[in-house]
Amino acid sequence: MPPFRCKEFHSYLEPWMNGERSPEARAHLRDCPDCRTLVGDLEAIHSSAHDWGLAEAEPPRRVWTALRAQLEAEKIIREPRTETGGWFEAAFRGLRRPALAGAYVAAVVAVAFGLSGPVTRHFNHQRWLDGTQQFTLPANAQLTTAEQTAVSSFGEATPDVTASLHQNLEIVDNYITLCEKTVQEDPENELARDYLYGAYQQKADLLAQISGRGGYGR
Amino acid sequence: MHRTYGCVLAGSVARTRRTDTTGELPEAEAIRLAQQGDVAAFERLYHLHSRRVYSLCLRMVGNTAEAEDLTQEAFLQLFRKIATFRGESAFSTWLHRLSVNVVLMKLRRKSATETSLEEMTEPDEEAGSRRRDFGAADLQLSGSLDRVNLQRAVEQLPPGYKAVFVLHDVQGFEHNEIAEIMHCSIGNSKSQLHKARMRLRDLLHEALREKAREERKAAGTNAGAED
Repeated sequence: MPPFRCKEFHSYLEPWMNGERSPEARAHLRDCPDCRTLVGDLEAIHSSAHDWGLAEAEPPRRVWTALRAQLEAEKIIREPRTETGGWFEAAFRGLRRPALAGAYVAAVVAVAFGLSGPVTRHFNHQRWLDGTQQFTLPANAQLTTAEQTAVSSFGEATPDVTASLHQNLEIVDNYITLCEKTVQEDPENELARDYLYGAYQQKADLLAQISGRGGYGR
Repeated sequence: MHRTYGCVLAGSVARTRRTDTTGELPEAEAIRLAQQGDVAAFERLYHLHSRRVYSLCLRMVGNTAEAEDLTQEAFLQLFRKIATFRGESAFSTWLHRLSVNVVLMKLRRKSATETSLEEMTEPDEEAGSRRRDFGAADLQLSGSLDRVNLQRAVEQLPPGYKAVFVLHDVQGFEHNEIAEIMHCSIGNSKSQLHKARMRLRDLLHEALREKAREERKAAGTNAGAED
C-alpha cells in the first residue's frame, strides 16, 4: 500500500497513540515533518500527564475527621464510641470545614462565659499550629501562671462572684482536658489541635477579662 | 498513617476479623466489615483509596478546599451505599464512578447548566471555528511543556474531556475501566481522549504564542526605554 497522506494519518492518530504502528503510517511519518511535530506534541502531553500522575496528594486529616462525624451522625457507623471521642466529635458533628468548627467553638464558649472585648494572647498561635503536642505543656504552664495572677487579683470580689469564676474556669479546664486527650491520642489530627488551640485561647481570653477588671463580675 | 487492626476492636466483629501479614485489614474484609458498620473498616477503606480520589478531585477542580469537600462527599456516598455493594465490579472502579459523578455534578452546578456528557465534551463542535489544521504547529511543545502549563490547560478543558484525560493519561486507568466509570463505550472513551489531547495541544500552543507575544512586547519596551 502507498504511504498515508496527512489526512489519512490524522485519522490514524488515535490508534497510533494507542501503540498501533502500520507500515503506511510509519512511512508517512518518516517523510512528513508536520505530522512528526504533531505526534511529538501529543507524546509530550502524554508524558507530562504521566509525570503529573506520579505526584499524588494526601488529603488533610480533617477530611476523614469530618467524614467520620457525618457517618456517625447518619448512624452508618454502628460501633460504640469511646466517651472522649463521642463527646468531642459529637460536639462538631456535621461541620464540614474546620473554619466552621472553629467558629462554633468560639460561639459556644463565648456564650458560656458572656465574654466580649479585647483579646490578650498568652502564647504564639503559629508556633502551636506548626507544632505538636509538645506545646501542650508550655501553653498550659503559661495559662496556669496567668490563672494564678488573675485569681490573686480576685480577693476583693464577693463569694458569689468567686464561685462563678471557679465554675467557669472549671468548665474551660474540663474542655481543655478533653481536647488534650484527643490530641494526645491522635497527634496528627489537625482538627483536634485546632479545637485545643481554641480552648486555650478561650481560657486566655477569660483570664484576660478577669485581670482587666481586677476580678470577675465587677 | 494506617492503623493496625488485629486487636483494636471488641465484640463479635473483632472475633471474625482477618488481617494480612502486615496486620492491615485486606480490602475485601474491610468491605465486609464496613457493611456491618465497622468504623475501623471504613477508615481502612478510606486510607486505601483517599489519595487517588483526592488527587482525582484536585486535578478536576484545581482547588484544594473544593477537592476536600468533593472527596468527603464521594466517600460519604460510597459508605451510604456500601451495604448494596455485591462485588460485580472492582471496588475502586465503583468508588471512582461515584467520585467522577460527584465532581461532574459540581462542575455542572458551577456552570449553572444541566449538560449531557456529549455537550460537556463537544461544546463548540457546531460552531466549527476551532483550528483543525493538526500539522500546522508553529511551536513545538516538546521541551517547553511542564506540569504547570499542562495543569492550566487542563483546567480549560470541558468537564467531559477533562474527566477522560485525567482518568487515562494522569491517573492511569484503562479504557475499559473508564468506560465503566463514565457509563460509555470503550470506543467513546478512546475518541474522547483523543479529542481531549488535541484540544490540549491547541490550548498549549495558544499559551506558547501568547508567551512569545509578551516576550516580544517586553523586548520592544526595553529597547524603547534604552533609546
